[in-house]
Order: sequence, then structure tokens, then C-alpha cells
Amino acid sequence: MSDGAVLVDLRGVSKTFGTVTAVHPLQLRIAQGEFLAILGPSGCGKTTLLRLIGGFLLPTAGTVHIGGKDMTRLGPEHRPTNMVFQGYGLFPHMTVAQNIAYGLRVAKVSRVEIDHRVGRAMDLVHLEGLADRPVTNLSGGQQQRVALARALIMRPDALLLDEPLAALDLKLRKAMQEELRRIHASTGGTFVFVTHDQEEAMGLATRICVMEGGHIVQDGRPEEIYNTPTTQFVSTFIGEANIMPGQRSNGRVILNTGIAFADSGAEEAVVSIIRPEKMSIATHRDDQTLAGCDAYLSGRLLDAIFRGPHVHYSVAINDKIVVTIDSRDMDMRRRLSIGDDVVVAWRFDDQRILTDR
Amino acid sequence: MTSNLNRAAWYAFASLAVAFMLSPLVILVLFCFSESALLSFPITGLTFYWFETLFARAQFWGALENSLIVTGTVGIVSTVVGTMAAMGLARMRLRVSSLVMAVLTVPIMVPPLMLGIVFLSYFATWWEIRLGLHSVILAHLVFTQPFVILIVNARMAGFDFAALDSAQDLGASKLHAFFTITLPIIRPSILGAALIAMALSLDDFLVTFFTIGGGNTLPIFMWGMLRKGVDPSINIVAVTLMVLSVGVSLIGLRVTRYRG
Repeated sequence: MSDGAVLVDLRGVSKTFGTVTAVHPLQLRIAQGEFLAILGPSGCGKTTLLRLIGGFLLPTAGTVHIGGKDMTRLGPEHRPTNMVFQGYGLFPHMTVAQNIAYGLRVAKVSRVEIDHRVGRAMDLVHLEGLADRPVTNLSGGQQQRVALARALIMRPDALLLDEPLAALDLKLRKAMQEELRRIHASTGGTFVFVTHDQEEAMGLATRICVMEGGHIVQDGRPEEIYNTPTTQFVSTFIGEANIMPGQRSNGRVILNTGIAFADSGAEEAVVSIIRPEKMSIATHRDDQTLAGCDAYLSGRLLDAIFRGPHVHYSVAINDKIVVTIDSRDMDMRRRLSIGDDVVVAWRFDDQRILTDR
Repeated sequence: MTSNLNRAAWYAFASLAVAFMLSPLVILVLFCFSESALLSFPITGLTFYWFETLFARAQFWGALENSLIVTGTVGIVSTVVGTMAAMGLARMRLRVSSLVMAVLTVPIMVPPLMLGIVFLSYFATWWEIRLGLHSVILAHLVFTQPFVILIVNARMAGFDFAALDSAQDLGASKLHAFFTITLPIIRPSILGAALIAMALSLDDFLVTFFTIGGGNTLPIFMWGMLRKGVDPSINIVAVTLMVLSVGVSLIGLRVTRYRG
């Protein structure tokens, strides 16, 4: 968490729909100025969590404090938050300017000020010249900007975004990511967004909460989450990971592949997690490429996919498990062919040992 | 050649069918101006005499007034209540809403004659209320509302509820959101539903006959005229009724098909 004052404080909040628990009791504090991503697969409860913050749902238990005040029972119209909905929820019978002005009109802000602020909001999201267009005549990207401007014009303490970029094509998504970062920087607000796209979360957020099955399973800066995942799920959901099961006893871990090393901790089933880019591959053990590695496994090369900056290898170990390697060594690629016997290796410092669950 | 002949034959058939459907209406209008007191063809001369005799009868104006009161009230109440029901249905889970819908639309599956008899015994023996325009209006509400519910509900099926959430998120109360977002978006459907409910109410005879007690609406008035012997002024009442209900239906259909 960054140093800002706590803006949103969820205390023991949970939400149950009938017999289904969407969000298990959880604590979450969001600081002023943060750009928080709530990341998880579909059905993990992330949208429910966002709607609890926005006031669209009443929590089954717990309280929601915003700006130090208990707002658990207040509806969205009474909260200093504004939401950009997944389908945008634009008003189809209004023009761009009327959509953006709606909140200020409800608040009975003076005409002059509305015009001024609508103009500024439209500039901020680059909608210049589209004021009088019906929103139904806009492209997906433009509609997204209207939704953004309509929420931002309210100067919310927290801007909530539900899968804001999901409906856009790849190129537009990249562009909007940059826009969102720029807008976050220039407005200095607190942004909370929900996404199932780990790359989007990594690219935008200053902090990521990973959700699984209604729980926040890890909460931290993007690089923390990537480099030191605390569960197997996090390690595979954010980036790719090789997972090698093993057993810990007497201060030693022995992986099922036979690799053994010292590791203190409870006697239990564990997994070793190694990122593909931390793995090296070579034709034999003495190859220069593998210098400094601690663990070596022999296998057979199944596949090698060229991915631009790196080559993605799949190697079968003992015909049982498949290990993936991302290598930037293009020389090595030329020396390897599919079906070859190869050696993969890594350093113990680059692996993470987690309890097997 | 055959294809030309074929096409001509089809055109002839279609024209005949249309003529068969529309000629009674044309003749009805023609008879309004017929000089003869008998409804016979060919028409011997034209006159406005029947208009004068009809317009001189106080009963006609009373029936017209009653018809307008019933139709207007039914149009408004049925639309408001039906729209509220449709709003509720739209927020329900599909399973529940289709069940509720089935129950709510039962009145349009019951033959009107039965409805009329049922209402008569219901009002007269159960509630023991005097029959009059109020009982007609209540009865009409029962069979016009399902149409309103069906039409408005169909519109709500494609409604983007995120727009309503947005409105509330931007500070609008539920009521304000309804009037500034929901209503403008679905207004054509609501208007169309109101007009269709009015058209149904306006030309209803059976249900009205059993629930009105002593009074008259236009269809009841016509029925009364028929019993005393036909004179051409009945055609004028019929044309009045036809113009009102066809006009209302046309506007209704046109408005519901219009998509904003």
C-alpha cells in the first residue's frame, strides 16, 4: 500500500447470493491516489467487490467506509465514487454532451459551469468536436471515452472501472491503457479497476489484488506479485510458471524429478515454481549457457515457438512432466531441433518453494 | 406467357380478397348518406338527414361521453399499472418472470363472453357494488392490462440496465432515473401500449354489456338501436366507432414500431 491516507476501507465485507458466496469476508484498504487492479478469473467475485464499493450491492456482512465515513447502507447516488460500467451504460437517447453533463444536471450545477466542465472533460478524454453526436453513432472506443468523461466530470474520490477495456480491440486497448495512466496522473484521483487480463493489471496498476474463489489471495505491487507469488494459483494466473511438486522433510526438499536442496520449513508436500524465462536450455550439461545453474534435468525437446524477442521451448522430462523455457539465445535455437535430447537448468535462487495446495 | 397469366390471376385473387374485407366498411360509410330508410342497394339519393336525427338524440352524446370516459381512464390506468408490472418483471429472474407473466396474461385467453359473465357475478354478488362506468372500467382494466404488460415487457427485454445504474451512480434517485432515463427510452412502447389498450376498451361490447348496468357506451347504444329497428343513423355510430378505434390502433401500431 502506498503512503496516502486510507480512502476506501472494507472491513470484513462479504457477499452471498442465495447459497453462493461471491465474496468471502475480506479486509481491503485502498489509499488515496492508488491505481488498484482487482485481478482474477471470471466468477472470482471481483465485479461483486467493485459493486460493493460503488454501493450497488449491500454486503451480507461487514462495513464499507469511504473517506472515513461508514457508507455501507448508502446507495450509489450518495457515494463519492463513480463507475465506468463494462457495457458503458450510456444513455442512448442523449448526445455525447448530454451524457457527460447528466450528473451535474442532477446536482443542479449552473448551466455555465456545466458547459465549462463538459468542455474540459471532453478535452481530457479527446472527444473534441463530438458534443452533439448521439452516443449511438460512436465507435466502441469513443463510447468508452464518453463513459469515462461522464464519471470523471463528477470528480469522484474513487473512480471505479469494471473491465474498462474488455470490449475494445487490441490496438485500441493499448492506446486506452496509456490514456488511463495519463488521466490518472493528471487528475491525481484514486482508480480501482476490475480485470481478468493480467497484462492489463500489470501495465496499469500501482497495486494488484489477485482474487480467487471470493478471496483476495495476494495483494501487492505488480513486481511483487510476479516475482514472489504466494500461491500456485497466483503464479500461473500472473505470467507462466513451471510447477514441480516435491516433498520437504528434515530441512531438505526433494522434487519428484529427483532434484534435492536444503530448505527449512514444515514437513509437507511442496511445489517449486520457476518462471520460464528463469530456465535455461542447452544440448548438454557442460554448455556455457548453463554456467551458474544449480539444478539440471534431461529431457526431450517437444516444441520450439518463435515469439519475437524470445523462443518458447517445451521439454518433456521423463515423458511425465513438461517444462517450458523462454530463451533469448537465438544461437541455441539454431543448434536445437525438435526431438533432440536436451538439458534444462535453473538456479535455486530463481525458484520459489510454496506449500502444495 | 404463363407467368404473366399466373401473376394476373394472383393479382385478381388478392384484389378480390381485399375487396371482400374492405367493401363492408365502404358500404357502411355510404349508407350514412343514403336517403332511404331501408338499408338497400343501390342508393337512390344522398342526404345528411340521418346525421341530424342522430345528433339530435341525447342518448348518442351520453354514450359517446361514456365511451370516452371509459376509454380514457382505461388507457391511462392500464398503462401506468401495466408499465409498473413490466418494470417489476424485467428485474426478475427469467424463470420467475415467465411464470408471473403467464398468470398475468390469463385474462386475454379467457373468451370475452365468459369474462363478462364472471365480472357480473363477481361485482353483483361478491362485492355487491352497483354496476356503472366504474365497474366497466375495472373490468376493462383486467383484459387490457396484459397487452400493456406484454408490449412494455418486450421492450424491457433489450433494455440496458447499466444505463439505470449509471444514472443512479451519477446521483439520480430511482424515481429521477426512471423519468430521465427509462421513460424516454421506452416511451414509444408505452404510448403504443396505451393506444392499443384504448382501442380494445373502446369497441368492447361483451364485457361492457355485462358490467355497465343501465348506462350506454357506443357499442351498447348501437345494440339498443338494433333492437328497436334499424335506421341508417346506426351506420353513423358505427363509423364514429370505427374511425376512433382504427385511428387509435393505427397510431398505436405506428408508434410502437417506431424506434428512437
